[in-house]
Amino acid sequence: MSVLKLDKVSYKYNQNTPAVLEDISLEFENGHIYAIVGRSGAGKTTLLSILSSLAAPTTGHIYLNDEDVAKIDKYKFRSRYVGVIFQNFNLLPHLTALENVVLSMNISGKKFEEKEKTLAMALLEKVGLSGEEANRRVLQLSGGQQQRVAIARALSYDPDIILADEPTGNLDVETQQEIIGIFRMLAEEGKCVIIVTHSPDVAKTADFVYELKKSEEKIQAV
Amino acid sequence: MYIFKNAIKSITRNKLRNILLGIIVMVIAVSACVALSIRQAAAVAKEDAAENMTITAQISFDRSKAMEEMAAPEGEEPGQASQESEGSEGNVPDRGRFDFDILQGSSLTLEEYLRYAEAQQEGDSYYYSGAFSLDATGELLPYGTEEEESETEDQTDETGQDLFAGGMEGGRMEMPGDMPGGMGGKRFQVNQGDFSITGYSSYNAMVDMFGSDGGYTITDGEMFEEDSEEYACVISNELAMYNDLAVGDELVLCNPECEEETYTFTVCGIYENESASSQENNRFAINDPANNIYISYPAAAAIIAASEEAANTTTDSSGEETSAALKNTLAFTYTFVNEEHYETFAEKVYDLGLDEDYTVSSMDIEAFESSMTPLETLSKTALWFFVIVLIVGGIILVTLNIFNLRERKYEVGVLTAIGMKKAKVAVQFIFELFLVTFAAIIIGGGAGAAVSVPVTNSLLESQIEDAEQEQSQLNENFGFEHGGKGSGGEAAGGEIPGGRGGAVPGQGRGQDRFSGQSAASQYVSSVTTATNAVVILQLAGVGLLLTVISGLAALISIMRYEPLKILSSRT
Repeated sequence: MSVLKLDKVSYKYNQNTPAVLEDISLEFENGHIYAIVGRSGAGKTTLLSILSSLAAPTTGHIYLNDEDVAKIDKYKFRSRYVGVIFQNFNLLPHLTALENVVLSMNISGKKFEEKEKTLAMALLEKVGLSGEEANRRVLQLSGGQQQRVAIARALSYDPDIILADEPTGNLDVETQQEIIGIFRMLAEEGKCVIIVTHSPDVAKTADFVYELKKSEEKIQAV
Repeated sequence: MYIFKNAIKSITRNKLRNILLGIIVMVIAVSACVALSIRQAAAVAKEDAAENMTITAQISFDRSKAMEEMAAPEGEEPGQASQESEGSEGNVPDRGRFDFDILQGSSLTLEEYLRYAEAQQEGDSYYYSGAFSLDATGELLPYGTEEEESETEDQTDETGQDLFAGGMEGGRMEMPGDMPGGMGGKRFQVNQGDFSITGYSSYNAMVDMFGSDGGYTITDGEMFEEDSEEYACVISNELAMYNDLAVGDELVLCNPECEEETYTFTVCGIYENESASSQENNRFAINDPANNIYISYPAAAAIIAASEEAANTTTDSSGEETSAALKNTLAFTYTFVNEEHYETFAEKVYDLGLDEDYTVSSMDIEAFESSMTPLETLSKTALWFFVIVLIVGGIILVTLNIFNLRERKYEVGVLTAIGMKKAKVAVQFIFELFLVTFAAIIIGGGAGAAVSVPVTNSLLESQIEDAEQEQSQLNENFGFEHGGKGSGGEAAGGEIPGGRGGAVPGQGRGQDRFSGQSAASQYVSSVTTATNAVVILQLAGVGLLLTVISGLAALISIMRYEPLKILSSRT
């Protein structure tokens, strides 16, 4: 059963411009990694924005476990059901890595069995950050470390779906492999991981690859 | 809860931004605190002074109104008629129009005054005094006169012509009707007497003299019983020394119109009058304070009653009856606990039958209002200053906040992108503002409270100086003497004991020649506390207002931001 389903989704930035996405119907299931690839301008990031409810489709519907996402509060959807890893990490610079993760847990409003700080620390360790690094402000961390913080934040409220926009874009090969490893681990834990990427190496690690093509080109499952 | 924790983290980790904001708010708070404190000090000082002030009022006959009515022919307006009649008579005024029986016999009786006192309210009271004059008998001489003069006086009295040339002290002044300016052929007799006898209804009536500011002190013996009909009196130490009188001695005085009508007083006390020695020598003995004799009102009333019973009445050629009985001049004073009671009395007294030709007036209220002038001027200036500070401060804060928000746009984008509602983001930002604003207001308010008293007093001093300079200039231009008690001699202007205000109005002795106000001594010249709970509450209100104004800018901006746009533009 699909955890996330797109039904003839189209998107236009405004009425007078051509559609960036047109009649896209896709299904995503738990326990798999999905890669969305395509040329620049094909609408990959736009699709990710729609999937994360940062933008609403012009036409069509998105279903989360068969429930229309339009009927779910967009803030609740973002803070509980999907974890988003942004291309530029989008961490709060005045907070430490740990505080960024804890804040995300707080925003979700979920009740946790253990203290948020303990859970957040465990998550940061899980993605490969030490205790010392966890207590540093994010600007004092490297790109790879910031990406790990972003992943930990996305996982902090235990969502079923992880959305990642170019998660390895600015990282060296070794770090890329480590990040991909984390995604694989998450998929094995039963999460649905959707990665928007340019990188063929990342695409290769995915269970399913959807390629977005411009205008007349149609989306293809590779 | 996490919103507030996050707000505190944001404040502590963006120190420079918040310090700048705090400094601006602090400057506003100090200015607002000083301005509000000045206003509060003025209000409290006014309230205190009003509480400490006893309002006294008198009922008096409106003579000018009565004269205007007499001057006006029937059916015409008084003012208009006066002009017309002057025109018709040429340069000779028609004095015959005025009925002096009405104009002079218009004083109220004690019974009437007491009836009008029913218009007073709880806490109000009244007192009264009766005054008349008596002559010396035997060896007794009024202070400042000699035996020879007294004899000369008698001769002059008989001739009735050499009145202004000599021996007027304590004498009888007659003004023949054919003298220039004589009143319609009537013959006025002015019998000054040697001593002024004043009977007081209560000790309260004597507070102006024997009170803390009066200058009168009993140095030997004691004050008479206020409700006693015995002829016990207190006399001045000058009179006592002049006549070798001591407490317990008897004093025989007579009716100036009838030497046989005598009254024997017992000296129960001798007083010293500090102010008397500084006064100029008086030409008439009766006008010298040393010749003032004080008794109880019941004793005075008994003397008047006895005199009326004993006195002969003579009828002159024109049929005018003249009585030799002593004439009592009644002075009745109503006292009120506050201005409201006074105002009510002034209206209600007419319902009790007081004629419209009489007016109720109080010098204390006018004196009180003029004493508040510098403080109230300062208070008004402070209000304007406060409004300007608030407007300018508000504009600066809103501008600063808009810049701050533009800087924090990314933070808004991230927080909303990870699911924080815009309203919660706004609450966090407003809470941050609130914390910074209130911390700054507490510090600024403290500093403002510390400087408000010296600043208020300094500004007040400057206001008083201006007022005094204006008054001095006026006096100088008119050629009056100044620099004495009226405009600077008592410039210290004491504070109300234990209070925040200034001198109690209505008790200063330095009456200015303009507007009847005494200058320096009556101004509220200093305050001891300015910032109180009211000012603190007002400051909190200012803080809240500033937070709301600048927070509103934050709220509008945040509500307009869309996370996707913010994060895309950053990308």
